[in-house]
Amino acid sequence: MSQSIGAQCNDLKKEYDTCFNKWYSEKFLKGDLRPECEELFEKYRACVLNAIKQKQIDKLLVEARKDDPFTSTSGK
Amino acid sequence: MKLFEATHTFFYKWSQVSAANWRKYPNDNCPHVVAIDVLDRHVDPETGVLRTERLITCHQNIPGMLNKLCGGCTVTYSREVSEIDPQNKVLKMTSCNLSMNHLINVTETVTYTVDPTNSSRTLFKQEARIKCGESISKFAGYIENFFIQRFRDNSVQGRQGFENVLDRLMG
Repeated sequence: MSQSIGAQCNDLKKEYDTCFNKWYSEKFLKGDLRPECEELFEKYRACVLNAIKQKQIDKLLVEARKDDPFTSTSGK
Repeated sequence: MKLFEATHTFFYKWSQVSAANWRKYPNDNCPHVVAIDVLDRHVDPETGVLRTERLITCHQNIPGMLNKLCGGCTVTYSREVSEIDPQNKVLKMTSCNLSMNHLINVTETVTYTVDPTNSSRTLFKQEARIKCGESISKFAGYIENFFIQRFRDNSVQGRQGFENVLDRLMG
């Protein structure tokens, strides 16, 4: 499994990725779109957001999202 | 502006390829990809499309001139947005460099679709656009050519690495 940008997030990432990969193959691809692994994702995400803030990548992401926002409708 | 394009056919079903795509790294062919993080992710309730935003961390040397301009950076970051439409079986990923983007803009688009002539195979299409900023336009030819060559090398390695991942997961 790939590493996280924050070494302290690796365990949380591993737990989340394992849950997501299982959901993706066993549920999502079979038509069950109800999300799972939400709680694990929030924990992992909080850790990553903290790591990217420390590395000052958060500002770069804000800029990039201005050109290409990440919302549920932007892909249409 | 320079363009790089590549196509490939994977001898695995789209469902297998799209699942393995999340597990493409780490692989021995792509040691430059050092970290991958999911920043945001949701299923669009109207379309059923899974959208994911990821941060890709790479560690790779860059040409001397650019390296000087960015102050000796070897770690670079990219933002990737992917969309997976499970009904039409289309996976599309677009990534753009976050680092050095005042100097150069590298946008890569990758799609995986079902081979219309054989549904147990998957077509891969990759396209990269490389454009230098005004401040380094004098060296644009040199720098764009460097990145095209880098893409060509990484593309071959990436494909081979992914084949190995698929063989391991599905074999």
